[in-house]
Amino acid sequence: MREEEARARAQRAVEIAMALGASDAEARIVLARRFSAAARGERVTKLDLSEGRSLSMRLFIDGRKAMLVGTHWNDDEIRSGVATALEQARYAAVDAFAGLPEARDLSGVDLGLYDRAIEARRDEERLDDVRAVERSIREADPRVDNSNGSQYSDACVTMALANSRGVLGSYRGTQIGIAASPVASDGAFKRTAHYGSAARFLAKMDAPAEIAREAVRRTVAFYGARKPKTQSMSILFDREVAAAVLDDIFSACSAANVAVGNSWLAGRTGERIGSDLVDIFDDGTIPGALGSSPFDAEGTPSQRTPVFESGILRSFLFDTYYARRLGAQSTGNAVAGGIGPNTFFLAPGKASLEELIASTQRGILVLETIGFATEHASGLYSRGARGIAIRNGELAEPLEEFTIAAPFPEMLAGIEAVANDLKFDGSITSPSFRVAEMQVSGSSSAP
Amino acid sequence: MIDEPISAESAQRILDRALRDGGLFADIFCERRSSVRMSLQESAIHEAALSQNLGAGVRVVVGESAGYAYTEEFSEERLLEAAARAAAIARLTAESSSRSARLEPIERSHDRLYDRNRTENAAPRLLAALLERTESAARSSDPKIVGVNAHIVDELQELWIARSDGSFRFDRRPMVTLGVQCIARNGKERGTGYCADGGRTSVAFFDSMTPEQIAGESARIALVNLDARPAPAGEFETLLGAGGGGVLLHEAVGHGLEGDFNRRGVSLYSGRIGERVASELVTIYDDGDIPEERGSTSFDDEGTPCGHTFLVERGILRGYLHDELNARLMGMRSTGNGRRQSFRHLPQPRMCNTYMPPGEAQLEEMIASIDNGIYAKSFAGGQVDIGKGDFVFMIAEGYRIERGRLGAAVKNATIVGNGPDAMTKVTEVGNDARFARRHYTCGKGGQSVPVGVGMPTLKISAMSLGGTEGA
Repeated sequence: MREEEARARAQRAVEIAMALGASDAEARIVLARRFSAAARGERVTKLDLSEGRSLSMRLFIDGRKAMLVGTHWNDDEIRSGVATALEQARYAAVDAFAGLPEARDLSGVDLGLYDRAIEARRDEERLDDVRAVERSIREADPRVDNSNGSQYSDACVTMALANSRGVLGSYRGTQIGIAASPVASDGAFKRTAHYGSAARFLAKMDAPAEIAREAVRRTVAFYGARKPKTQSMSILFDREVAAAVLDDIFSACSAANVAVGNSWLAGRTGERIGSDLVDIFDDGTIPGALGSSPFDAEGTPSQRTPVFESGILRSFLFDTYYARRLGAQSTGNAVAGGIGPNTFFLAPGKASLEELIASTQRGILVLETIGFATEHASGLYSRGARGIAIRNGELAEPLEEFTIAAPFPEMLAGIEAVANDLKFDGSITSPSFRVAEMQVSGSSSAP
Repeated sequence: MIDEPISAESAQRILDRALRDGGLFADIFCERRSSVRMSLQESAIHEAALSQNLGAGVRVVVGESAGYAYTEEFSEERLLEAAARAAAIARLTAESSSRSARLEPIERSHDRLYDRNRTENAAPRLLAALLERTESAARSSDPKIVGVNAHIVDELQELWIARSDGSFRFDRRPMVTLGVQCIARNGKERGTGYCADGGRTSVAFFDSMTPEQIAGESARIALVNLDARPAPAGEFETLLGAGGGGVLLHEAVGHGLEGDFNRRGVSLYSGRIGERVASELVTIYDDGDIPEERGSTSFDDEGTPCGHTFLVERGILRGYLHDELNARLMGMRSTGNGRRQSFRHLPQPRMCNTYMPPGEAQLEEMIASIDNGIYAKSFAGGQVDIGKGDFVFMIAEGYRIERGRLGAAVKNATIVGNGPDAMTKVTEVGNDARFARRHYTCGKGGQSVPVGVGMPTLKISAMSLGGTEGA
């Protein structure tokens, strides 16, 4: 069985490293079977069936740390890689905080991450799904006259972890994703949107036609869009773009950024930063969720960590190294090469998105943002955006080619309504929410 | 490790298998990549990371469709299995058949662009010494510099590409990057700066572009941003800085000219070759044949030589960027822009180094000509929507221009615009064209590849600045 093989290889890699002089060693093996396909029009345009296996190791020698990642598999390959990595470790500084976590029992947790129905899928069923998306985008709206290709992917992944302190664990997981990219001509422009759905279980996926309809809705929503005037107003973040905002908040909460001064949240634990509605968690224990796993990349069992409670910053997110460095406990957020989310999310409210729209006097429902944070020290949020104007509680004309901006602390303090549309469909996810006021920059506001 | 992972005889058997069920074309992309990365935090080298990957992917092309399979377990048996899986596409759309030609003897790349004879990663002690010099230069430049994070990467990528048309090529591509982030602090105010350089060369590059220069530039930007004011919101006459401003060409024009988008008719530039798409001051080309630039390679990831491609000439759209598949479907030739992140990915048409030649304007005069505007001197990145052409850039260093003079620095704001619209609003082109420092990476369809950008200072009559202050 592949899981046994992965565990045995991970243990063997640790043995090899110890025999070569490492004072401690850790090995992770990932085995994956990946299927991906694309269709456009009547045709399947891409079919990719690949088997991957990779090794990543952390090696400790006399208080110094080195990493090794790659396609090493047999003993000779591992030996050669480890020897070179240990040689490089001599140039790293002795770091009192570097080292493995305490050994914990990793057996017996089943979060329901593996779907046999995905493993058992026949290629023809997978291709039927992607063809169905492609067909449905054209049926959904007559203005859709082209496609950038519809995508289907699934994967069966086995992860095994072993270290020289006796840790040994493994688990299996599945994932599936379907996405559409319809194109509709709007004069000289092509309107495009990319929308998809992802899950660990086939049965939890939205139907292909539903994904197609939502993608088309987002494509044609911007027909005849114009640039708004520069002004400040309420911004309602649709759940997709709300998740992108949470992504930036995650980066500021990552202890790796906090430790080097690259976070606007550094030194502010215990302070009230957000409004009462800001409850943010990182949770690796949600059964069946895409972001769940029984333990993190270094063998710390997953947990639920309150990050913000009623707007008060409670905790950053740690792996073992940064926890030791900053005098905290690991929150189970180690990923290969750093700190990453389990499921990082804003807790949902009670009202629907429609009710949030209805209670907005003057604002914009933002459906897309472009751009990304390039540093997290300044705490400024500024993105290109597209959305639909809201006036007196009703959706009005589409808007584009503008930016929305605010300092992050003001944005979090300004969250005045949170919708009930949270879905656990990614590692970072959010319900839709409304910020009372943000600066919108578009055309000149001068008369 | 094996020295030559794949022989011509073995490659021939794999290509034969790939085309046995039909298909027009097949290739094998075999890659061995080794990189060493060291990072420094809190005045100490924090980590040394070694990455070594060996694998290969087999592709079978039929019409506009491609079957692909890669393996990380390197053996002829596994590659034959991959070939059989990739051939599934031919069984699905059985419409063409072709046989693989006899492979020619392996052809090694030329070494005009970079030294392809270096066979080993840089010694770790050299990398460590460069990092230590970087950190001490940054710290000593100003007492307000309170944090320095630096990294250095040395990489060698070897690849063997065997194609069913008989060509069999080998290339070895080097890459080095030294990057440093400085954090400046004064009371509660913070400012960050980033600077990186390198290219397809070796650590000897840092003898002429010294770690002290790179660290000094990063610290200077951090101090500028420490004193920066919140940016205003609204439309402004804008100067885009020479060098790094080339991100504009990359996002606002380059992506829209990639062959896949145009063959599918989803780009706003689709079907518009020969039409005016920009001010006549605008000329843009892509060139994968410039020594040491990040986007340069002797041949692309399909084995096609890289060249010099005119995209826009005096405002007229001249051509697209092609890989083999999209070029064939459009009845054109590949421009050598078929690139992939690694053997785990199919090639896509991608930019190499995108550049605008100089005009005649002087920077000082361009600044003096603006009454109320923005000088966006350098960018930290950008993004574009292909169909509509809307783009954003994140400003890394920018200033207000007031009554013809440079004013206060603005805090990292975003500029938003529309590519074709901005290109018609280019009113002056500086005489100061140059390539940006070599550290840009471009993402598309889940794949990252190194690229170069460059341009002279451009004056654009109106762009929206996404600040937090009412205008």
